[in-house]
Formats: sequence, structure tokens, C-alpha cells
Amino acid sequence: MEALFSLVVGVLTASGVYLLLRARTFPVIIGLSLLSYAVNLFLFSSGGLRTNAAPVIGASLAPTDPLPHALVLTAIVIGFAMTAFVVILAVRARSELGSDHVDGQHGEEEGPR
Amino acid sequence: MSQHLIALPIVLPMLAALVLVLLAGRIPDRHQRLLSVAFTALLVLVNLALLSRASGGEVAFYALGNWQAPFGIVLMLDRLSALMLTLTSVLAVGCVLFACAGDDTRGSYFHALFQLQLMGLDGAFLTGDIFNLFVFFEILLLASYALLMHGGGKARIGAGLHYVVLNMTGSALFLVALGVLYGATGTLNMADMARRVASLSSDQTALVTAGGLLLIVVFSLKAALLPLYFWLPHAYAAAPAPVAALFAIMTKVGLYAILRMQTLVFAGSPAAPAIDTWLWWSGLATLALAAVGVLAARDLRTLIAYLVLISVGTLLAGTALQSPAANAALLYYLPHTTLICGALFLIAELIGRQRGKAGTHLVRGRRLYQRFLLGGLFLVAAIAVAGLPPMAGALGKLMLLQAVEGSARLWFWPLLLLAGLCTLVALSRAGSVFFWASYRGEVATGRVSRTQLSGVLWLLASAPLLVLFGGPMSAFTLATAQQLAQPQAVIAELLGDAAAAQASQFHEIPGEAP
Amino acid sequence: MATLVAPLLALALLLIQAPAVLAGDVVTLQLAWMPLLGLDLALRLDGLALLFALLILGIGTLILYYSGDYLSADEDDGRFLAYMMLFMASMLGIVVADNLLLLWLFWELTSIASFLLIGFWGSHSDARRGARMALTVTSAGGLALLAGFLLLGQAAGSFALGEVLAAGDAIRASDHYPLIVALVLVGAFTKSAQFPFHFWLPHAMAAPTPVSAYLHSATMVKAGVFLMARLNPALGDTALWSLCLTLTGLTTLLYGAWFALLERDLKGLLAFSTVSHLGLITLLLGLGSPLALAAATFHILNHATFKAALFLGAGIIDHETGTRDLDRLGALWSMMPLTGTLTLLAGAAMAGLPPFNGFLSKEMLLGESLETDVLGTLSVIIPLLVLLGATLSVAYSLRLMWRLFFAAPRRSREQKALPPMAVHDPAPGLLAPGLSLAALSLLVGLFPMALAAPLVQAASWAVQGEATLELHLTLWHGLNWPLAMSLLAIAGGVVALRQHRRLAQIAALFSPRDASRSFEAAVLRVIKASLWLTQRLETGSLQRYQALLILCALAMAGIGLVKLDTLTGAAGMQSLDAMLVLGAALTVFAAISSALSHRWRLVSILMLSVVGLMVSLAFVRFSAPDLALTQLSVEVVTMILMILALFFLPQRPPLLVSGRRILRDLVLATALGLVTAMLNYALLTRERPAIADYFLRESVPGGGGANVVNVILVDFRGFDTFGEITVLTLAGLATFGLLHGLKLFMPAGNVEGIRWSPQRYPLILAVISQLLLPLALLVSVNIFLRGHNQPGGGFVAGLITATALILQYMARGHAWTRTRLPISYPIVAVSGLAVALATGLGSWLFGYPFLTSAFGHFHLPLIGDIELATAMLFDLGVFLAVVGATLMILVNLGRVTTIHRPSLEEP
Repeated sequence: MEALFSLVVGVLTASGVYLLLRARTFPVIIGLSLLSYAVNLFLFSSGGLRTNAAPVIGASLAPTDPLPHALVLTAIVIGFAMTAFVVILAVRARSELGSDHVDGQHGEEEGPR
Repeated sequence: MSQHLIALPIVLPMLAALVLVLLAGRIPDRHQRLLSVAFTALLVLVNLALLSRASGGEVAFYALGNWQAPFGIVLMLDRLSALMLTLTSVLAVGCVLFACAGDDTRGSYFHALFQLQLMGLDGAFLTGDIFNLFVFFEILLLASYALLMHGGGKARIGAGLHYVVLNMTGSALFLVALGVLYGATGTLNMADMARRVASLSSDQTALVTAGGLLLIVVFSLKAALLPLYFWLPHAYAAAPAPVAALFAIMTKVGLYAILRMQTLVFAGSPAAPAIDTWLWWSGLATLALAAVGVLAARDLRTLIAYLVLISVGTLLAGTALQSPAANAALLYYLPHTTLICGALFLIAELIGRQRGKAGTHLVRGRRLYQRFLLGGLFLVAAIAVAGLPPMAGALGKLMLLQAVEGSARLWFWPLLLLAGLCTLVALSRAGSVFFWASYRGEVATGRVSRTQLSGVLWLLASAPLLVLFGGPMSAFTLATAQQLAQPQAVIAELLGDAAAAQASQFHEIPGEAP
Repeated sequence: MATLVAPLLALALLLIQAPAVLAGDVVTLQLAWMPLLGLDLALRLDGLALLFALLILGIGTLILYYSGDYLSADEDDGRFLAYMMLFMASMLGIVVADNLLLLWLFWELTSIASFLLIGFWGSHSDARRGARMALTVTSAGGLALLAGFLLLGQAAGSFALGEVLAAGDAIRASDHYPLIVALVLVGAFTKSAQFPFHFWLPHAMAAPTPVSAYLHSATMVKAGVFLMARLNPALGDTALWSLCLTLTGLTTLLYGAWFALLERDLKGLLAFSTVSHLGLITLLLGLGSPLALAAATFHILNHATFKAALFLGAGIIDHETGTRDLDRLGALWSMMPLTGTLTLLAGAAMAGLPPFNGFLSKEMLLGESLETDVLGTLSVIIPLLVLLGATLSVAYSLRLMWRLFFAAPRRSREQKALPPMAVHDPAPGLLAPGLSLAALSLLVGLFPMALAAPLVQAASWAVQGEATLELHLTLWHGLNWPLAMSLLAIAGGVVALRQHRRLAQIAALFSPRDASRSFEAAVLRVIKASLWLTQRLETGSLQRYQALLILCALAMAGIGLVKLDTLTGAAGMQSLDAMLVLGAALTVFAAISSALSHRWRLVSILMLSVVGLMVSLAFVRFSAPDLALTQLSVEVVTMILMILALFFLPQRPPLLVSGRRILRDLVLATALGLVTAMLNYALLTRERPAIADYFLRESVPGGGGANVVNVILVDFRGFDTFGEITVLTLAGLATFGLLHGLKLFMPAGNVEGIRWSPQRYPLILAVISQLLLPLALLVSVNIFLRGHNQPGGGFVAGLITATALILQYMARGHAWTRTRLPISYPIVAVSGLAVALATGLGSWLFGYPFLTSAFGHFHLPLIGDIELATAMLFDLGVFLAVVGATLMILVNLGRVTTIHRPSLEEP
């Protein structure tokens, strides 16, 4: 199970990184989102993977480590704020730079790099 | 009340931001500015009080929510954090004064964002918890994104996009590193982590090394080390002047974090030498390439951005030396270079405004309206930043040069001295173009306002003051470095003597875990 | 004239100390400054310092007096005098410093003052170039000097000059000795314009003449010579030292003299002659015998007097005639007799004619050159070369006097058409300083024992490091070799002057190079190269910077992984089940398709949302209900946001990517994915020491809640949450700024060209959303209230409320909703923060740290016992901040699609 979980995290990371390296703002945003899923899963798993062990007192006999859950929750919220910001920034950049290339029209002119 | 003083550098700017947003549009700009300046000035006072408290040598902790470490989050005040806090607020006063002359109304919520930026910075300097550090990094980053693009415009948005995306990737890596460190040590408190790192098996130490190195990559991105600095010149050159000036501290947050990790969390662990190697070579290369960049710059703002990079390279290569003497030297050099780079950004703005279309480009232009005033300010700042006497830059450089020993000198001395020379050549060219080689006729716009001038003078005053009080200041930084050299004391203070004994055992025999 | 007060006062103070110093005492003053650095404010007045201080103050006073009349009325003489005083102070600092680092500080300060003074007429390009060149060369030397000083201080064990001078043997024995000598000499040679660093000095002549007289002949350029003399006891007396100094001195002596002979510019001639004389002094220091050292100090004094006088005379001529071209000047004797007297007296001293002071020191040089064996068997050539130098110096001195005052001016035809120059001697203010210096050089020559010997003797003691030499100076030594050589030199000089035209023709064969131009060109080449390099590195391509960042992360994490003995840890793996495999497969599929379909943007978003959904399911499976709830609600809002944003971005971008680029990215991405997976796997299969038990134990008794995650969020680590809602609110404020004044590309139809439906607000959506709103609000309240004990909490509740409200905007439009919901979202968000902050601060009232929670069972009439926690209040803050911030972001983005633009004047 652990191997499978890590594999999924790895694939999410790889897909995210691949998109991060694209030249348009939109895939970069998608890439950041994918990367943040991967990272959240990674951080989450640092407390171990346990089934039926919700950290609610009384709900399970041996609750799992709750701390990573709290950390990931914070990370999700911060990630949301950041994603929202970068999405709006992409819109603004399109209108300001006249292109959705990450380097603006400067990047557009030079073509594939 | 006095025990709560430690939380004030975070609470106060927060409060200021709330007040400023709530009153936005309800009170005139003038009052907004007054409030913002007053809050920032108050912050300086608070930080000075903290500085005097920390200079006693005791590490003070503040358990948030009254939960004891390592379970709750603690704020940690030692000499280093007090120094950084004071520096930040002193820099901020200069920037906010300058911004009050009109830069603040070019976009929305300038002062609130500015205060939140301060809150993020202060939190990063105070926190003793590694995840909380992440949270404050995000606060300061998001505030810096907004401030960088304050007022908009093609250059700012373009540079801002790069800055934002790179830092978001950096934040993702930060979280991975946190996951590794938590998974390997099971704690988030820095002192506790240091204690546990010291007693790990070699197997887990390898994981800590991976996490630690990854963390250093993230901090190197913030500190702008080679090969992660390329975003900086564009971003800093594009930012509004008071923001660029404030950003002079941003690279130092990365430095601070690295210093904290190296002296506390990873002190003596196998991760530390690997990190030092990276810092040393990368710092030197940054120093060299930044010196090249200074020569290549065709615009004064870009030039100053490279000067920031020179100081980054110098400081981080100095950090890699891991000796109290080197740390003392770089902590003496740090406030000076930060404040002067800040002042230079402000001066560049003033020059640009009075040169009309030529702006800050290094080409001949029309005569400045206030040639002697600006020339004088530029001269003082240039001398200071180039590390020439009679300003504190020279003393800082002397201390750094002296602190380097053995074969490390072979690299550090020539590079540091040559970087100084490049700075001098570039700045003398810039100065002679701006102030001597002008066409007839003046551009009568952009008269320096009193608040702008006071902001610049406030920052510039640091150069002579640090010389005048060089003795006490260097004694303080030496004491700081010595405090940093004894992480066991911090651990003992926070977690009790037994924990410290466990850690110190390790520190005596580095590389061999029990 | 008020400016003269300070130097005169200083001079008086100096003279009070003089008798003690002349007797061989050393007067010192010590103040601690930066003990850590070894830098003290330490001053020292010995013979050498006294000699220099007298020169600096004495000549300085005369020149300041002269400058008062020299600058024209419309020039900024305040600034000029300020620079001069700055220079005077720093030069004094160099000579009286008793600490190497202090000396260096003043040393660099003189470079800065010199830069400002050379560039005083900065509107001329040659002044700018000259100033920059002087600054670059001298401060490069200064930096070398600094390195030398640091090594020197280390070898000597102190930076205090007294200790350094006493530690000569230790220094000479140290490993670094050759390096120290090299570095110190580079510093000294650049400052004193020794070959090959001499080139900046002639171009420094773009400065106003008083500056040239003061800095570039009498004082600043002597700083290098001073330094060599000063450090002679510590560094001198070795073959290396003598060799370096002798050879450099000789070369400079001849080089300077030769070019002085050929120079057409009056000040240029004097500048080259200064170079030559500085070489002479260096040579004397290199010869190193007690008498040679005495001769060196004596010549420092002599040169300063006659050269300053000559410069002042040159300044007068320039000032009165408007030209410095020797060929255009001539026959001035009848018009300017006093200036002529001045120049003739000083010129004779420069030529070394008896009975002037220059003759005395030159005799000593000639005598010493015969004695030396510095070059072993080759030492014979030293007197010959010195003789050649002396001949040239006679020749250029005579040429100067002859051309200026007696020869007829050479004029071109046009110039002949103009009336001849009608000039006259200037006011006494300009004449007096020069005349008194010229007279002094004669008087010293006539009465050396009375006027110079004690001073020179005391100075030479300091240079030698021991007070042994008894100096006797006389004009007449009897018939001996030096006298014969002097006579020969004078005769040779006259011949050379007569053959000047022929010499010039020889010189013309070698194409002359303008040092300032070639220097500038070299600097430009360096700048171009650095520009090239910088542009190579900083392509401004985000993709490249990202790739570098990822590469760094890869390398760093890799280093850690390599150290790991086995990837699988001791804890091993848990078993799999079908659901897990299915979920993993779906996630992997969705992630990869999202990556591959990035050009079909809607598909990409959909795939992304599948991944998000799977992640929340994973949270459910692995016992994290809170996370699952949060992830799900964030997912919804994010999707709305992205689809809204997609509207403004190109739907299908052009394909602009090369195959190699894709391959590189794939490799990078796979590698980082692999490293992350390995790290994750390594962590998962190992035992974890954790502080988790504490939270589980303390949650109910200490935090008053059964949902441990929520208790951690609002209590144990409430400060994180506090930061987190700050980030959210900040995001709201920041996006507000971004959307402010936004001009949008508004596509009129979708990518296929089909126009958008004219029906702006679909009816079905309107109805559903209206039905949903109360339900959603109810759910939020429920989730909020139960959060402390069961999965839920302020954050999730906030997001649900926000989503429901956004649905209203989408269904009914902005205007409709706005009128029914007249709330300013920034205010909501900020009040949320304020509530959280107030809750945190509230604990101060009870003497507890920030954010300390309290809970208790309260008995309310009618309702009975209820449990209330301050953490709940904090969570309310979270709720408000989330609602406010989310709506601020989404509504503002939504609003720019309509005619409304966000503005600061929110109602």
C-alpha cells in the first residue's frame, strides 16, 4: 500500500512539474494545483496511513497522528489563497502583457525556447 | 504586560492593517498615512525594547496559547531575532515615509499590505516552529506579491508573474521538506527537532539530510543564491521604489532562515557540512556573477538590484564559514547593507523623477533639478555600499575579510575585493553620468518632498551611525554569534537540561549518532 | 579666508609638538574604537609624520589662500573648499595614523576626495574620464593594500603601527612576506603613480590647478611614498624589497622624465615630471642605506616645495593667458616678470641646479647610486641610468623656462592674425603663495642645516626605525664624482634642449597612446563582456528558472537519498485492497491526462477536478474526514474560479514547443516525481517518533473538544490558523489590487466562434440557487457548531456559505445580488481577522499568552448547562475571514465580466 501511495504522489508530482515547465500561464496554474495535491498527500502521509482511525476522541480506539491533518488543512487553505491569487494574476497578465505566455510577448516573439 | 512584548511585533502590524482596511475610504489619505507611519514608528520602539531585552543574553520564549513546547507554537527571542526585527522596522520607517509622498495611492490598500508584510517578516524572525515559519513565509510572500505589483504596469506584472510562480513552486518544495522532517523527527519545534536530530539513527539522518537540503533550496530561492537568483534583478527593478527598498530585507529572511537552521536545527548533524559546501560555492558564485551584473547594468535600479545580490553572496558565503567570528562579521555587515540598498532604491527613484524621460537609464540626460542634494545623497550611499570609508560598509568588509581563515581566503578575499571594485567602477560611472554629464536645461518636475527626503535620510543615517557606534555594535554581533554557537543553551532553556544534555553529547562528537 | 583658520590652527598645534618630535620622541594618542576588529583611533606623531603634516598643512594653507582668487566668482567655491578640507583632513589622517586599518580608511578617503576634485569641472568629458580613471586605479590599489594590511597585521599579531614596526623580523620570516610586499607595493605604486600604474596622473590634470598643485604633486601622490617609508622598518631591508623599489623607481624616473621632455601641455609636463620625481624617491627608498633614506625624505620636502610652486605658476599662466599649450605660449618674461621669477626659481630647483634645494637631494642620490650593490654586478648601470634621468630632468626644466618666458610663441596663421597676447602679472593673492614656496626652495638650498636638517633627520630616523644617523647637509662637498655627474647632467640637458626637435621626431615614430582613451576602452570592453554574460544567464525565461529550481531540488533531495542504506524501512508495508488500486489508477490516469491535455484547457480542468476528488477520497480512506471536507469545498470554489478565469485566457494556444524541450521537461518531471515518491516511500516504511499522543491525550481536558484536528487548529496551533486566515484575507486584498483598473480581452464567443447565449442568467440556475441558499446556510451553521467535536469547523462552514452566495451572483448577476446583500466583503474578511485577533488578545487580560483558550460550562437560565470555548469565537473569526476573502476574490473577478469594475470606494 505504501508503495502504491508513493507512486501516486510521484505521478502527481511529475505531472505537476511537467505542467509547471510549460510556457503558458494556464498549464502552469494547473501544474501548481497538481503539485499542491501531491505535496499535501506527502505531508499528510508523514503521520502514517491508517484506516478507520479518525482522530476524534471516542470515534476510534487508536486514532492516527492528528498533527499532519492540521498541517495539511492549513496548507490546503494557504494553497487555495495562493491559487486564487495566481489565477487572477494570470488574467491580469494576459491583459497587461497582451499574451498568456509566461514571459509576455517577449516570450511569444522568441518562439520555442 | 512585559512578557507579551514578544508577540507585539506580530500583533501590532496586524492591528495596524485591520485598522487601515476598516478605515479605507472613510478617512482622508493624510490620516491613513499618519496612522501607518505612527504604527511603524511604534513598532520600532517595541523592537528596540526587545533588542535591549535580548542583549542581556537570555533567550526568551513565548508559548502561544499557553501550550508548552514542543506541543504548541513558541516564539523565540534571542539576539539574532531581535536584531532582525529592529532592522526590519527601521527599514520600514524609511520606506513608509517615502511611500507617503504619493506612491501609496497608485493602487489599493498600500499601507495595509505594507503592515501585513511587516507582520509576515516579524513572524518569520520570531517563530520557533518550523511549520509556523512556513505560514509566515506565505504571509510575507503574498504581501510582497501584492506590493511588488502595486500600481500595475507591464514591467511589474511581468516580473511579478515570474516571482509569484517561482515562489509558489518554492512553497511546494517547502512543504515536501517539512513532510520529510516531520516524518523523520516527529516534531515541528526547532529546538526539539535539533534535539531529536542529534539522537537519530544514521538511517533517519539520511532522511533529515534530504529534508534539510531541500529546505535550504527553498531558502536559497528566497535569499536569491545562484542559480536561483535570476528572477531578482527584474523584480526589484520593476517594483515601486518604497517596495523595492523594503525588499532589501526579503533576501535577508532567506539568510536568517538558513542561519537559524544551520546554527540550531542542523548544528553538528551530517546535513550541516553538505549545506555549508553548497552555501560556500553558491555564495561565491553569486558574488562573482552579481559583480559582473553590476558592471553590465544599464539602469540604476538594476544596478542596485545586483548590489543586493552582492550582499547576498557575501553574506551566505560568510554563513558557510560557521565560525563565531564570521557570523559576528556578517551580522555587522547585514544591517548596513540592507539599509543602504534600501536607501539607494529610494534615491534612484528621486533621480529618475527629475531626469524626465531618461529616467534611471545610464545615459546622458537633462540636468537634475536638485542636482547637489541628490548628488550628495547618492555619493554618501555609493560610498557606503561600495564598502569605502568613512561608512560602515568598510568596517563590515574588514570584519568579514578578517574572519575568513586558511585556504578559504584564496577565494573569498579576491572575490569580495573585486566585487567592491566593480561596484565602485559602476557607481562612479553612474554618478558621473547623472550628475556631471548632463545637457543644459533642467527638468523642473519631481521636486523631492520633505517626507521623501526624511525617509532617505533616515536610512542613510545608519551608515555613519554604525561607524560611530562600531564598538558596541560589533560587540553585540559577536555576542549574537556566540549565542548562536551554543544551541544547547536554547534547548535547555526550552525543554529542560536533560534534553540539552542529550543534544550536546551529539554536538561534541559530530557525525556519530548514539 | 575663514577656511584658513582650521589649517592654521592645526599648524600651530603641530608646531607646539614639533620640538619633542625633532628630539626623537613619538607623540601618540590612543582611543579604543572597534577592538574586535583591531581598529583603534590611534594617532602617532613622529619625524616622518611631522614632515608630512607640515607639508600638508603648510602648502595646504598657501593653496587654499591661492584658490580664493583662482576660482571665478560664479563657481561653487564652497563645494570646492569643502572637498579640499575633506582631502586635507584625510591626508593628515594617513600620516598620523597609528593603526594600519585606520591608515587604510584615510587612504581610501583621499581617493574619494581626489575623485571629487578632479571631477570638479565635471561638465568636461576629460574631467569625468580623468576622475573615474584616478578613482579606479587608486582604489584598486587601495583594495590590494587592504589585503596586504590584513596579512601584515596577522603576521605582526597586531594592527597597531608601533607593534607592526617592532615586529619586522617576524614579518620578514612569515610565509606571506612576498605576498604582503606585493600587495602593499601595488597599493603604494598606484597611489604614487609608479610605472606601470602611472598613467592616471597626467589625466588627473583636468582638475583645477590648485588641486593639481596640492593633491597631485605635493601631497596625495606622496602617500604611496610615505607608506613605503613608513613601513620600511617592518618590510624593508630584504633583497625583494630593494629590488622591487629600485627597479620600479628607476623605470618610473626615466619614463616620466622622457615624457615630460616631449609634453606640450604645461600641466602635463609638470605631471610627468612629478611621476619622474616620485620614481626618484622610490629609488632612494629602494637603495635603503641610511643616507639614501635621508635623501628620500629630504627630496620629499624639496619636491613638494618646488613642484607646488611650479603648479601655482602654471595656474597663473593658464588663468591669465587662457592656454596651457607650450607651443602657443612664449616671451612672457616682459609681461609677467613676477610669475617669471617664481617659475625660474622653482624650475631651477626642479632641474637640480645649485644653489637650490633640488641640487642637494640630487647630489645625495648621485652619491648613493655609486655606492649601491642592489643589482649585484649589474649595479654599475644604476649610476648611469640615474645620470640619464638627471640629464632629462635638466632638459625638461630648461625647456619649460625657455619656452614660457624667452622663446617666441609659435602660432598658426589664424592666430597670428589676432592681436598678440596682452597679459600681466596677477593680483598678489595669486602670486604670494607661489613666490614664497619658490623662495623657500632657494633658502633651503642655501641654509640646509638651519632650515631642513633637523626635520629631515627626525623623519629619516622614523624611516630607518632607529635614531642613529647624524645628518650633515651642505651645498659644497668638494670636488667629487656626484658633482662631476651633476655638471655632466646640466651640460647634457642643454644639449638635449637644443636637439629637442630631433628627439621629438624620434618619439613620434612610436605612435602615442592616450591612456585615458585606452583605459576607457578597456573598461567598456569589460562592461560589454559582462553584459554578454549577464544576458546569457538571465534570459528572462521563467521556464528556465523553474527548470533550475527543480534541478536544485532534485540534486539536493538526491544527496539525502543516496545516503540511505535501504529504501524500505523496518516498518514494512501494509496490504492492498481493490478499492485502493482502483482509486490509485484513477488518480494516476487523471493526473497524467490533465498534464497531457493542457492545450485543451477545459479537459485539463476537468481532469484536475477528478484528481482533487480522488485526493479527498484518499483523505476519507486514511482517516482524515476533516481534510476530506475541506478539500472538497476548496475544490468547488477553485473550479468556479478557474472556469471564470479561463474565460479571459486564450482557449487554445498555439503550439510553440520543440521536441527537445518536451523531452527535457519530461526527464526533469519524471526525475522529481521519482525522487518524491522514493522519499515518501522511505518515510512511510519507517517508524515515526511523534508528539501525537500528547494531542490525543490533552484534546478533551486541555482543549475542550473531541475533534483533535479542530482542537489543534483552533487551540494547540491556533497561531498557524491565525496566519492562515491572514493569508486568505491578504489574497483577497491582493487580488483586489490586481483587478483594480484591469482592461480585459473579452471574447465575444467561444473557441469555435459560437456566440455566447444572450440569456445572461439562466432561470433554472436562479431557482435552484435560491432554494439552495437557506439549506446551505443551515448546513454551514451545523458544520460550524459541531466542528470542535466532530469533523467540520469554521473553515469548511465558511467555504460552504461562500459557495452558496457565489451561486446567487452567478444565477442573478452582480447588480441583483448587490442590492439584496449590501455587504462589503473586505470588511467582512477583516472583521473576521479582527475577531480572531481580539480573541487572542483577550487572553492578555487574564495574564495568559496570546491565543490562550478558555472553556467552561456555563449555566444559563432556561437553557441549562452549555459548554462554551473561546476557541469557538476564534473559529467564528475564521468563518468570517473565509467568507469575506473568498467572496472578495470571486465576486470581484466575476464583476469585471460586467461593466462594473472594482474600485476602492466600496459602499
